Amino acid sequence: MHKITWAGIISILLIISACQKTDEPATFGQIAFEVHHEVDGENLNTDALIYTNGAGNRYMVTEIHWFISNLTLIGADGSHTEMMESSEENIFYIDTDIEESWHIKANKPIPAGRYSGLRFTFGLDKTLNKSHRFVNPPESFMFWPTYLGGGYHYMKLNGKWINTLGKNEPFNFHLGIGQEYYEAGKTNEDFYVFGRSDNYEHCEGYLPPENLSPVIAFIHNNFTIELPLDFEVKSGQTTQLDLVMQVEKWFNSRELYDHDQWGGAIMQQQAAMEMGCRNGVEAFHLRRSN
Amino acid sequence: MRLFSLILNYCTLSFIGFLLLLSSCKENDNPPVSDFKPTPYEIEIPYAFPTKLNIPADNPMTVEGVALGRYLFYDGRLSGRTHPDSLMSCSSCHIQQNNFEPGIDNPHFVGGFVHGLNGQQTHHVVLPLINLVWNSSGYGWNGSFFPDNENPNFRNIEDIVRASVLAPDEMYGDTNRVKALFQSLDGYPELFFKAFGSQTITFKNIEKAIAQFVRSFVSADAKIDRYLKGEVQLSQSELNGFILFTTEEGADCFHCHGGFGNPLFTTHLFYNNGKDTIFDDPLDRFAITNDPMHKGAYKAPTLRNISLSGPYMHDGRFSTLDEVINFYSHHVKLSEQVDPLMHHVLRGGVQLTPSEKADLKAFIATLHDENFLTNPAYSKPEKFPDED
Ligand code: HEC
Ligand code: HEC
Repeated sequence: MHKITWAGIISILLIISACQKTDEPATFGQIAFEVHHEVDGENLNTDALIYTNGAGNRYMVTEIHWFISNLTLIGADGSHTEMMESSEENIFYIDTDIEESWHIKANKPIPAGRYSGLRFTFGLDKTLNKSHRFVNPPESFMFWPTYLGGGYHYMKLNGKWINTLGKNEPFNFHLGIGQEYYEAGKTNEDFYVFGRSDNYEHCEGYLPPENLSPVIAFIHNNFTIELPLDFEVKSGQTTQLDLVMQVEKWFNSRELYDHDQWGGAIMQQQAAMEMGCRNGVEAFHLRRSN
Repeated sequence: MRLFSLILNYCTLSFIGFLLLLSSCKENDNPPVSDFKPTPYEIEIPYAFPTKLNIPADNPMTVEGVALGRYLFYDGRLSGRTHPDSLMSCSSCHIQQNNFEPGIDNPHFVGGFVHGLNGQQTHHVVLPLINLVWNSSGYGWNGSFFPDNENPNFRNIEDIVRASVLAPDEMYGDTNRVKALFQSLDGYPELFFKAFGSQTITFKNIEKAIAQFVRSFVSADAKIDRYLKGEVQLSQSELNGFILFTTEEGADCFHCHGGFGNPLFTTHLFYNNGKDTIFDDPLDRFAITNDPMHKGAYKAPTLRNISLSGPYMHDGRFSTLDEVINFYSHHVKLSEQVDPLMHHVLRGGVQLTPSEKADLKAFIATLHDENFLTNPAYSKPEKFPDED
């Protein structure tokens, strides 16, 4: 018994020391991102009516709260390295009012080497976007009502614009799961027969009030993009990059988003959210930190 | 062998003597420290509630602390006085069956507007004491008590206890007098020992005990809670109201007052909800943050048990829920400071029809938690420690 134990311990020690000797010098480094919110190339100035978007709306931004998830580094050789140990941890809440939230750091060693970019999901994808994933604020305050699809807002971008009447009108540019609504010609019964979508369980049993049209399907508006940038992770060092959201691009990149057309609230306007998300694909870039 | 047993006997005797000494100490003086074994008080996290609690590191909750806090919360001698006309405690204004508010039909405080022992009315109306352990963003209508405040005297419920004992518009007391009075009352010193390990009463320990008791107030047994857990169905009208509550094209309340993903039914954050166009209250959110955009902003209170929380808004301008719903429907006012979440402002509000208003009210009634209002653990003790 004793002999066996000793033999075991000694051999383990031998193995460990052997490993140490043959081990290459550390081949891991770290990566961290600092999130910047910019408008027209300058840091976002909240609560200041100083911006004009492509559609000609003069506007201000009061706050931006959003989720980014599935952060993955793209290797120069095409390999993929997730930033976090698990996909559950690979979700970050970012808030223009909370400075700590602007810092994103991998929670595991990142292989040293050359990389060619970052891939991430804006918002939360279908698998991650489940109600009650977050019970604590501020993340829990991002919940998206069950009737509208459940889960979480991908983003709340709040502000005001000067409308056609010259009035300072609030806008809530909120993105999340979109809905397809029932159209005339179908009865409530039809709705329940063919209205099952993935997220339908959220709405099981709901009969909408008379003057609300029933929801017949949900649309996941999240999108995944790759931001190109050549960078290196050096062993034992932290590579620091800036992840920039160019706020104005939500309103004018691929299409012109006009607040006068869509009004202040879009959670129930899939067309507006869709346009927002098409533009959003262009709203991010990556750069080396100074 | 004999010698050994003799020695043993001697040891036993002296040990018994030591025990006797100990027990005699107990009767005359502070009991030995080993008797101070408070039992941790665990807050059970209700379904979908946050797991983060706002409990200061230097005041962990204990069963004994909560029990002591209960006496103090209800004992009118917290004012530091014993004359029947000069009694006041937390429960004078925070009454359990009224959601720990005075109640709009309070016999002492006309219309629910409270005043202190000297007759001076409080600057704002009372806030309910409900699920406060889940609020980390600030207590008070303007959030003047918050955990990382630079001023250590304005951080948590402990500080509110001191503030309300001292405030001219509340107990108008003197902390030294209060602690001396309780020191002289039979039974209290023992309870302080059990909770904090010393029979010498300090005002700090008074603050701590009451704060622990207030943190124990949990309301999570309304119809809506059982619905969210899938245990009951809502009626058609309640469901309609829920949908209205949580849709932008409906009544649009959820961004500030919660819903399925935030069952506190508040964010505990501060907003200008469009009641006015001129803001001259010296104690609004602006007073705390100095940000001019925060003029006229106040905390969005929880809507749990809201039917009992009138008069409504920080200044108590509305006395019924119908008035509140009418305000959000038709009378929201535009100002530079109005929160962007009030995006219906240019239409004057969310424009609910009479039947929608009725549905919304039916939904709000599902936030009513009768068990909270009658929970014996939060109620007035049958007698105080010095009463037989
Ligand atoms: C004279 C009536 C009165 C008495 C007595 C009183 N309060 Fe209050 N309480 C108020 C008022 C009014 C407010 C709202 C103050 C404000 O924010 O302007 C309040 C607010 C509070 C709050 C903040 C709640 C929140 O949601 O932010 C707490 C906690 C509180 N009181 C606890 C106590 C305790 C504990 C006692 C006893 C030590 C007590 N109060 C005694 C009137 C009273
Ligand atoms: C922009 C955030 C916001 C929205 C949206 C909002 N509220 Fe409020 N609510 C507040 C704030 C802030 C207060 C406190 C204002 C004050 O005291 O001056 C408040 C107060 C109340 C009160 C009175 C609470 C009390 O204890 O006195 C009720 C009731 C209420 N809201 C119901 C609703 C309903 C119903 C809706 C939807 C129709 C709604 N609110 C929408 C922010 C909001």
